[in-house]
This record gives sequence, structure tokens and C-alpha cells, in this order.
Amino acid sequence: MDLTTQRKWDAASRSFDLLSFADDHRLGPHKRRLFTKIRGATLMVAAGTGNDFKFFPPGHRILAIDISPGMLERAASKAARYEGEIELRQMDVCALDLPEESFDTIVTVCTFCSVPKPIAGLRELRRVLRRDGQLLMFEHVRSNIGPLGIFLDLMTPLARRFGPDLNRETVKNVQRAGFRIRREENVYLDVVKIIEAVR
Amino acid sequence: MLFVIGDYAAGALMGALTALAVRALVWPGMDMVIAMLLGMGVGMLVHVVVGLVLAPLLGMFETMTPAMVIGMYGGMLFGMRDSMSAGSAALPAALGVGALFGLLVVLAVKVYDRVLRGVVVDAED
Repeated sequence: MDLTTQRKWDAASRSFDLLSFADDHRLGPHKRRLFTKIRGATLMVAAGTGNDFKFFPPGHRILAIDISPGMLERAASKAARYEGEIELRQMDVCALDLPEESFDTIVTVCTFCSVPKPIAGLRELRRVLRRDGQLLMFEHVRSNIGPLGIFLDLMTPLARRFGPDLNRETVKNVQRAGFRIRREENVYLDVVKIIEAVR
Repeated sequence: MLFVIGDYAAGALMGALTALAVRALVWPGMDMVIAMLLGMGVGMLVHVVVGLVLAPLLGMFETMTPAMVIGMYGGMLFGMRDSMSAGSAALPAALGVGALFGLLVVLAVKVYDRVLRGVVVDAED
């Protein structure tokens, strides 16, 4: 277990929900739209405080993991409110304690901006995803708009201390981990993206 | 609609505060390179502080993205102007130009967003 990352997100969990009001309203409809594609046994990676549980369609069985016990503690009440079943477990995405090919759908929301070894984490996801399964991602990535990309590079060392990296090449990382991109959509500039991938 | 109004208000505020901060630090005749670097630095500081305050209300990405451009580019441009005494001698004028700059950056980011938004790859097509 990556204790440094765990401690960072335990600390962040105290104020995490304070930042979510506007993002819920502005980005929530896109997440809800993405989550309508959930099918079968589902894994959610980096559940955080469970803020995104409200965007899941009802009636699913979801295993939601996070490296941070602080985050999971805050997610418990939201999981209980979900009209379906959400099981919470502490787990490091880079070392999943899960059998191979156990999920039909894997969901991530602003996750692979934060995983210290993103390709290792994505390879683990590929391992536990069934052959006809799908990876549904809602992520923020480095912009290809020249000045904006440079800004994100410059701000990342500061942002990383308290939260995510701002300049991850997540689409390329997904491909490097062995996935094939099924669909890629820009939600806000080319920074916030929906990424759908298959094995 | 409230979010859109808020975005423009935030941009104007960011621009005005960046102009104010640069005006406080850069004096006429200062080396322009130094002034621009100082302006950029102080603009980045303003954008981080103000952006983090406004982000919960308006959204992290929609606030911080134009704020980065306003703070960094605006800071450099205001530093250049103030070191050369090239206009807006009075503080209200400088703040007004700063606010206008912020509004224009928000508009440009929104136009760019419209252009970029949508499907990039669809292998099922």
C-alpha cells in the first residue's frame, strides 16, 4: 500500500466535499450520461467521498475502492443512500486484491490524474476486466493547447502536493496499458474528457 | 445562466486584482523583462488564491483555466505596460483594463471550448 498517497488523500478528504457543489452541477450531467453505460459487475476506482454515487443509475452492484480510509469513511453514508448495492473497500489500484477478469465495467472519475504509477494501475484494471468488458473514464488531462499545456505543467508541482497532477497524458496511458480506445469525448476544452476503452 | 454570469464576473475580478497587484509592485522605468517576470509571478499567485476561493462556487476547471491565462498572461502584459508607463496612469483605469482583459479571456476560453467540445474518437462509427 502506497502510504504517502494514502496520507495525502486522507488529509484531502476533510475538505473534498467543499469543492464539489459547482462541479456537481456543471459536470454531473456528463458523468450521469457516461454512467448509463454501466453494465454487469462494476468496479469503481478511487471512490473518494462517494460524491459521484448519486450519478449512478439505480439497481447496480458496485465495488467502490479507494486507497484512503478517510475518503471511504465519508463515502459510507452516500453508499447507503444509493438505490442498489455499493460495497466499499480500501485498496490500492496498483495492487488490486481481486481475481482476473472479474468485472464487466470499470469506472473512474478524476482518478488517473492522481495515481502515482498510472500505467501500472491501468494494467491492473485491464487484468481484472473481462475480455468483453469496458473501461469508462471521466478524467482531466494535459491540454494540447500550447500555452494552456505549459500552464498545467507549471502548476502541477504545486497541485500535486495537495491533490492531483494537472498534466497527465491519460489517453496515451490507457493505450500504453494495453487498452483500445473505443470513444473519446471532450467535455471541457480538451482538458476534461470522457474516455471509453476496451481490452 | 448563473454560472455563465459568474464565470465572467470571476474573470473580471481576476483581471482587476492581477492589475492591482502588478501596479503595486512594478514602477515606471523598471527593467521590462524583470517587470514581466514579476507580473507573471504575481499573476500566478493571484490566480491560485482567488481561483481556489471561487472554484467551489463556479467549478474547478471553469474557474482555474481562464484564471491561469489571466494571471500569467495578464500579469506579464500589465507588468510590461506599467514599467513603460504606457497607459492607464490612474489606478481605476488600470483596474478597468484588467477587468476587460479578464472578460475577454473568459470569452475566448468559452469560444475555444465550444470549438473543441464533442467526440474526438468514436471507433463504433
